[in-house]
Amino acid sequence: MKLWLLLLPGLGSIVFLMGSALYTIMIQSVGLHTELGASLDYWSDTLSDPILFRSIEYSLRTSVLGSLGAVILAYPIAMWLRKPIPGKTAIIGLLRAPMFVPGLVAAFLLINVISFHGILNESLLALGVIDKPLRITNDKFGWSVVMLQVWKNTPFALILLSSSINSIRSDVLDASADLGASAWANFSQVVFPLTIPALQAALILIFIGALGDFAFASIAGSRNVYSLSVLMHYTATAYYEWEKAAVIGLVIMVLSGLSAILITLMTRPFANRTRPVISASFLERSHEK
Amino acid sequence: MLQIKNLKKHFEDYLATDDISFEAKEGEFVTLLGPSGCGKTTLLKMIGGFHKPDSGEIWINNERVDHLRPENRSTAMCFQSYALFPHLSVSHNICFGLAQKKLAANLQKDYLAEALLQVGLVPHKDKLPSQLSGGQQQRVALARAMVMRPDVILFDEPLSNLDAKLRESVRFEIKSLQKKHKLTTVYVTHDQAEALAMSDKIIVLNAGRIEQEGSPESIYYRPKNRFVADFIGAANIHKAKVTKLEQAHHYQVSCELGDLIVESEEPPVSDYVYICWRPESAYRAQGEVENTFNIKVENLAFLGNVTDLFGRTLAMNDGESVRIQLDKLLHTQVGKSESFVIPKNAIRFLEEVDE
Ligand SMILES: Nc1ncnc2c1ncn2[C@@H]1O[C@H](COP(=O)(O)OP(=O)(O)OP(=O)(O)O)[C@@H](O)[C@H]1O
Ligand SMILES: [Mg+2]
Repeated sequence: MKLWLLLLPGLGSIVFLMGSALYTIMIQSVGLHTELGASLDYWSDTLSDPILFRSIEYSLRTSVLGSLGAVILAYPIAMWLRKPIPGKTAIIGLLRAPMFVPGLVAAFLLINVISFHGILNESLLALGVIDKPLRITNDKFGWSVVMLQVWKNTPFALILLSSSINSIRSDVLDASADLGASAWANFSQVVFPLTIPALQAALILIFIGALGDFAFASIAGSRNVYSLSVLMHYTATAYYEWEKAAVIGLVIMVLSGLSAILITLMTRPFANRTRPVISASFLERSHEK
Repeated sequence: MLQIKNLKKHFEDYLATDDISFEAKEGEFVTLLGPSGCGKTTLLKMIGGFHKPDSGEIWINNERVDHLRPENRSTAMCFQSYALFPHLSVSHNICFGLAQKKLAANLQKDYLAEALLQVGLVPHKDKLPSQLSGGQQQRVALARAMVMRPDVILFDEPLSNLDAKLRESVRFEIKSLQKKHKLTTVYVTHDQAEALAMSDKIIVLNAGRIEQEGSPESIYYRPKNRFVADFIGAANIHKAKVTKLEQAHHYQVSCELGDLIVESEEPPVSDYVYICWRPESAYRAQGEVENTFNIKVENLAFLGNVTDLFGRTLAMNDGESVRIQLDKLLHTQVGKSESFVIPKNAIRFLEEVDE
């Protein structure tokens, strides 16, 4: 009872803010308080629109690849940073730099690098590797967005994974090598399982951030497919369909929640190995021998 | 068989291992004994392959291994901190090395069953290390190293985190498993009782160097210098002037305790040396016997099986402190003067006094 009272100021304001926002958006999505009155048409219209599904596909694709890319890149760097290396602080500082560049700025920088007359094309032309500039900006698949997501989120994944990897006792890693584990076995059977909690946190946070991405998609995204956030933005501001925008907003939130659960469930089995190797009866038999 | 040849290792400008050579024969139990910070762990880690020596050679079964990575050496180490895998159950911890060797699953099960029975962890086989007591964790570490049947097994103070009772029982376990599987063992400890009880050979280390190497008996009864005499057990050490006597192996020494006769097969290294004797070698004087000396009793401690007596010699200046352990109750009082005898063969010559 008393504990609840203590939690009230903090928890209460969170619940109030979240709850009222959620309430508003839910109210809006069924068109309550509009001249036309409440209706589920906004839901059925939006959910039957192929544009939404192309957006979902695009957003899921870029955020799955973006978040996986970021952690896959962060793992070897974090392993390498465990070793004593000269100038470690400077290296870590440099690696964190992308975190301080706003997404919109990063997107413009990338576009400048890979655009039709960007540095990349000009260099490749000068080197004679290609004889016509490549069209790689705003690609349909979303590679430029994936690239930006990876670039922007690797430092964040690195912070979480590094602290987790650094907290593994070096004796434990020595023991695994001592028992004959190769570098890969050491990583896959010891380091990886021990960093699962950090991995979950990194994947979930990066994935949800990427799923709701607006900045990268609006500058570097595909010209034919919108990301969910961009779609929501246009639906509300270009077509003034606020109710449908609210439906898209809820879709983003539901997808985020579901993927957080999915990521947790998919990674959890790797964290511990307690499956019995031998049964009690096997032990009894070998005891008799 | 393990051979260490002229091993050297420094950290920055600190010499942690200074030209160490020794050998452990097949199935031999060799203990590295020394005070904290003398380089025991460093030496062990070089054998295991976790530290690279600056120079010198390590040979296991006539194969030079010092350039090999830890996973390619047939050594298994029991770490000071246990170093269990926190995410694996007891069974998976024990099988970890076997799985790396890609041993057939049914063999792994047999090895695991044997190990679990040996170290008494059957009821705990599927628990995570965090659900075990310290002694149980220690036994998992022991089993995990033992199932590998390594050519050389390395122990780094495996008992230091256990209480006195448990220490004794795990000590017997280690010793009996080692004997049963004839494992060549290098065991690190700073506990002299442990070293004396378990070892075939003891190597006393100090500041990265070997002070003395030998059987527990020879280390205890025939220490070479003051460091060894003092580090292993308790010792009374005095400066002494030595004169050779007519009789073979007999010497006369004059020291704080007066003039004493010493019988020693090994001659002293010079005329002016340190001598030492063990507190339990002296006994109470009855009548006029040779090698009798007097001390004033300063402190008495009754320890149950022995009585620990601290006294002071009766010389002009303050005298020297002397420690005597008697296996019988002594009816005396602090402040009284008492006579004791040291047998002439219980006195040992140490290094020369350099002044
Ligand atoms: N990685 C390292 N870097 C620098 N110095 C080290 C390192 N490891 C050990 N040393 C130094 O080397 C010396 C020997 O250390 P070592 O760990 O071998 O001692 P030890 O005999 O095992 O002591 P203890 O009984 O306390 O475990 C110590 O003075 C220690 O400070
Ligand atoms: Mg140590």
